[in-house]
Amino acid sequence: MSAADNKKSHYINDKEISFKFDGKKYLGYKGDTIASALLRNNVRLVARSFKYHRPRGLYTCGIEEPNGIVQILNEHNEPNTRATVKQIYEGIRVNSQNRWPSLNLDVGSINNLLSPMFSAGFYYKTFMGPKGFWKKVYEPIIRRTAGLGKPPKEFRSKSVHQNHNVDIVIVGGGLSGLIAARKLIDTEYDVLLLEQDSFLGGILKNSNKIKKINNSEVNKWIKETEKLLKASKNIKILKNSLVTSYNFTNHLIALEDKCAGKEIDKEKSELTLHKIRTTQTILANGHIERFISFRNNDLPGVMLASSFEKYIHRFGVVPETNPVIFTNNSTTATLLKSLIELGHKPAAYVDARDKNKIGAKFLNYLKKNDIPFYINSEVEGCDGNKKINTISIRKNKNKIIKVKSSMLCVSGGINPDIHLFTQSKGLVKWDDKLLTFKPDVPFQNTITLGSVSGNYNYEKTIDEIDNKLSFLKAKKIRFNVELNDTNNFNIKELWETKHEKKSNWSKSFIDLHNDVTTKDLKQAVKEGFDRIEHLKRFTTNSMGTDQGKISSINSLGIVSKILKKKISEVGTTTYRPPYAPLSFSAIAGRNTYEFYDPQRKTPIHYWHIDNKAVFEDVGQWKRPWYFKKFEMETMHLAVQRESAQTRKTAGILDGSTLGKIEIKGKDALEFMNLMYTNAFTKMKPMTSRYALMLGEDGMIKDDGIVCKFNDKHFIATTTSGGAPKVLADMEEYLQTEWPHLQVYVNSITEQFSTFNISGPKSREIVSKVFTDVDFSNENFPFMTFKVFDYKETKVRIMRASFTGELGYEIYITPNHALDLWKKIFHYGKAYDLVPYGTETMHLLRAEKGYVVIGQETDGTVTPIDLNFNWMIGKNKKDFIGKRSLTRRDTSREDRKQLVGIVPLDKSEFIEEGQHVVECERLPKPIKTPVEYLGHVSSSYHSPNLNHCIAMAMLKGGNKLMGRKLFVSSTYGNKNIPVEVVSPVFIDPENKRLIS
Amino acid sequence: MILINCPYCGERDQSEFSNGGEAHVARPENSENLNDKDWGRYVFYRDNPKGIFYERWVHTHGCRKWFNAVRNTSTDEILKIYKLNENPPSKESFTNTLKTPSGEPKVGSGNFTVKK
Repeated sequence: MSAADNKKSHYINDKEISFKFDGKKYLGYKGDTIASALLRNNVRLVARSFKYHRPRGLYTCGIEEPNGIVQILNEHNEPNTRATVKQIYEGIRVNSQNRWPSLNLDVGSINNLLSPMFSAGFYYKTFMGPKGFWKKVYEPIIRRTAGLGKPPKEFRSKSVHQNHNVDIVIVGGGLSGLIAARKLIDTEYDVLLLEQDSFLGGILKNSNKIKKINNSEVNKWIKETEKLLKASKNIKILKNSLVTSYNFTNHLIALEDKCAGKEIDKEKSELTLHKIRTTQTILANGHIERFISFRNNDLPGVMLASSFEKYIHRFGVVPETNPVIFTNNSTTATLLKSLIELGHKPAAYVDARDKNKIGAKFLNYLKKNDIPFYINSEVEGCDGNKKINTISIRKNKNKIIKVKSSMLCVSGGINPDIHLFTQSKGLVKWDDKLLTFKPDVPFQNTITLGSVSGNYNYEKTIDEIDNKLSFLKAKKIRFNVELNDTNNFNIKELWETKHEKKSNWSKSFIDLHNDVTTKDLKQAVKEGFDRIEHLKRFTTNSMGTDQGKISSINSLGIVSKILKKKISEVGTTTYRPPYAPLSFSAIAGRNTYEFYDPQRKTPIHYWHIDNKAVFEDVGQWKRPWYFKKFEMETMHLAVQRESAQTRKTAGILDGSTLGKIEIKGKDALEFMNLMYTNAFTKMKPMTSRYALMLGEDGMIKDDGIVCKFNDKHFIATTTSGGAPKVLADMEEYLQTEWPHLQVYVNSITEQFSTFNISGPKSREIVSKVFTDVDFSNENFPFMTFKVFDYKETKVRIMRASFTGELGYEIYITPNHALDLWKKIFHYGKAYDLVPYGTETMHLLRAEKGYVVIGQETDGTVTPIDLNFNWMIGKNKKDFIGKRSLTRRDTSREDRKQLVGIVPLDKSEFIEEGQHVVECERLPKPIKTPVEYLGHVSSSYHSPNLNHCIAMAMLKGGNKLMGRKLFVSSTYGNKNIPVEVVSPVFIDPENKRLIS
Repeated sequence: MILINCPYCGERDQSEFSNGGEAHVARPENSENLNDKDWGRYVFYRDNPKGIFYERWVHTHGCRKWFNAVRNTSTDEILKIYKLNENPPSKESFTNTLKTPSGEPKVGSGNFTVKK
């Protein structure tokens, strides 16, 4: 009573491979999966179940496996790998999952004894209270017990992505897929054939159901076909490639495992994610067998009959020489014949059908070979400790007979694998003869061939394919088959056998992966979850990583019986991609770490690095945040130093990241008047202006400085993050609303580097750098700009201020930028010129009451709220958002308005984001809500005033000037008393600006 | 991911495009003559039907041109694409071509067999 080799199999070869499972060494053959190799070594117990920690064995031979999920230790500790799919290679180390301390002795199996507690909806019902328990008690416990394998220790990008554009995709390289492909050899179509296994042939290699093709051996035909396909110019074959999703407009995703059966090469990618766009999809992805629920149908040793057959023919291993076969349909006949032909004798053959359905020929075959058989009978259950010992058979629906065997092959019928078809939004229908859903009306250009279309008769396959592909210019091929068992498919409806309860341990499972029992289903229906989608979520039925591939139709069968409805009325749950789990690293592809998002660097970037800049991400830009003058300098100290020095002598900011847009054309002036709130008509050439851009809702979208060369030529700057959006908005309005305007807009952000030099000494510094230019106040007043030659390029200098100090903004082509930057420092040294980063920029702006878009504004702030009335061109007929500024809501006086606040006790610090309220202490307990007046939008410690300054958006703020209010704080339980003041803290008369 | 046939560049993946919402919502001229309600209707109200929808797209990572499309929102099928200066096709011209995934009725959503 153990495993044996199938000496006739082609797949046994001499190449032995050693591998480790749970630390123990075993031998297998090349080409073995972990599952087939373990079965070869008589290892039956491979896992513990998810919830009850029950002992589990291998149930299937493929992607549908619910139990045999393992961790691969030598592949970055890859968890949740299917033992039935993963091939072994020399030295692979595999561990079982979800057990402690060992697979054989698992402490978690106490859950099984407590199982009456864990019925359907357990989590929803149990963890309701008391208050606070969720975070402190329940969540940590559930987190520890949840999940299957342990996560990999480090993340590694393992995949590359590849695009395909083809005429026809054939999913599945089995019988139908190969015939279809052969018919398309050397036709005008580009064809891609996708096969999930490492070989072509499917059912031809997985069983001996088909004896001969064209009067010769099956393998000969497969080899011949593969050779012809490879020689053809128009067909490409991808093996080890599993189609995981079938999306709209015939877009398929397939995952190719490039390391199947090989040790992974850490220098190379392991997976390829194929993104395929096709005109026509041919689905030939076959079928999946389903099981039958009976008592303890999860004991190690229970296996699907077709999987048992696959192990015999595909891997050359008979997992057990004397198993019991339990079926309700005709597909198991070939399994029985295979065993007998190999000289093994099944312990019993149990068939739920009557003798008419089974057929006299097959009954005679059973009698002739002296097999104990029971018709009109069913398996009631099985017993044993971590493996099957005895199997109870209910003979003729009453008498129980016990049979000794260690394996039970079960078949509850076969389901066409409609997953991909329904993902493509095709409509399925219930077939009363086959007792399954099969494809009906496709939604896209989809054809189903072979068993996925519900055609289980291999003799008719060729006719079906000829017929369905007749609209293509396909070839005729010679094809005839000789079958091992000529009976037509028939089946008797049986979802669950009658259960004789023996103990709490006795369970009849409907979902092996998630430990859902048939009792759970019945209870859920009783509690009112009679819709299949609700039932699924309440019981977690078919929600495991196997997605209930072998059991979901069974649950429909059971539920339809309880509800006394037809299965077609119960309906299916929705099939969603992916078909089988794929790792995040496969989806991520190469877009990881530094490749995740492009990085934009200014020409001065490496100078910043040399000068110990700490960087901040602004959009995709890397901007200096602050400069560390010495190793121990904190950010606070650096910012205080930078801003004090700027106000004292001069500071410089690399503003190259600022968005720049050039606007040119006959109607540029009219266009600018429409896009911005400001009036540009009366503006003199070669002057500049601070400008605001609104949305149609009147809310501030962006700001910047607009330079007017003349009525036909402007350059606008935008915020560093806002540039793409502002350009897109300009283009949109030009194309959609004002196509009559002749205006051209162009992004010139990267064509110019920008430096902001400001501080009382900035004039002296720039005068030394650009000796030809007169920087005097009379000749170069505030808000004007000049363009002049510098070396072999042109420089534009604008007198403007970001900080409230005298300042100049220098624009230069990037190839000269670093030179100029260094030159400025050369002359600036005498004045202690300091480079500063974005944090100091914000502080300096806040001191002057200059708002930062995105800091003070959040998409709900109008220019009126910021007291920017002076910037609104009220005499203009129209601009974007104009009408909204007079809406009842935007003209309310109690809108949040910009104010400055300072703490009354100058030693205290106000935090950004805190609430502004009227009460000093919160009442305890809070009976009525405490009125919220607004929030602190930005706050800094000003080195120049030596106390905290803050800006806040307060309801009706303009009327609150001078009021004493309170700001909440994260430390202590006392609110901080503050005074509402004007937001301009330094130089309110603008003396410094225009000096 | 659906395919979109840009009238200037040809068929490209959806990821190259951005959706601009409902089409044929003209920006009112003389907005100062509109009352708050009518102006608010232009700014805030957009249709979101199940079925035929006239909408705007822009080929952001391509020619950056705006164009109009008629899409069946229940299937994501793009029924017609036309340039901004072309007349919109009439709604009636599509009624024969409309289909819904999984044979759902044209109103409502979700899995029909379950909802029934």
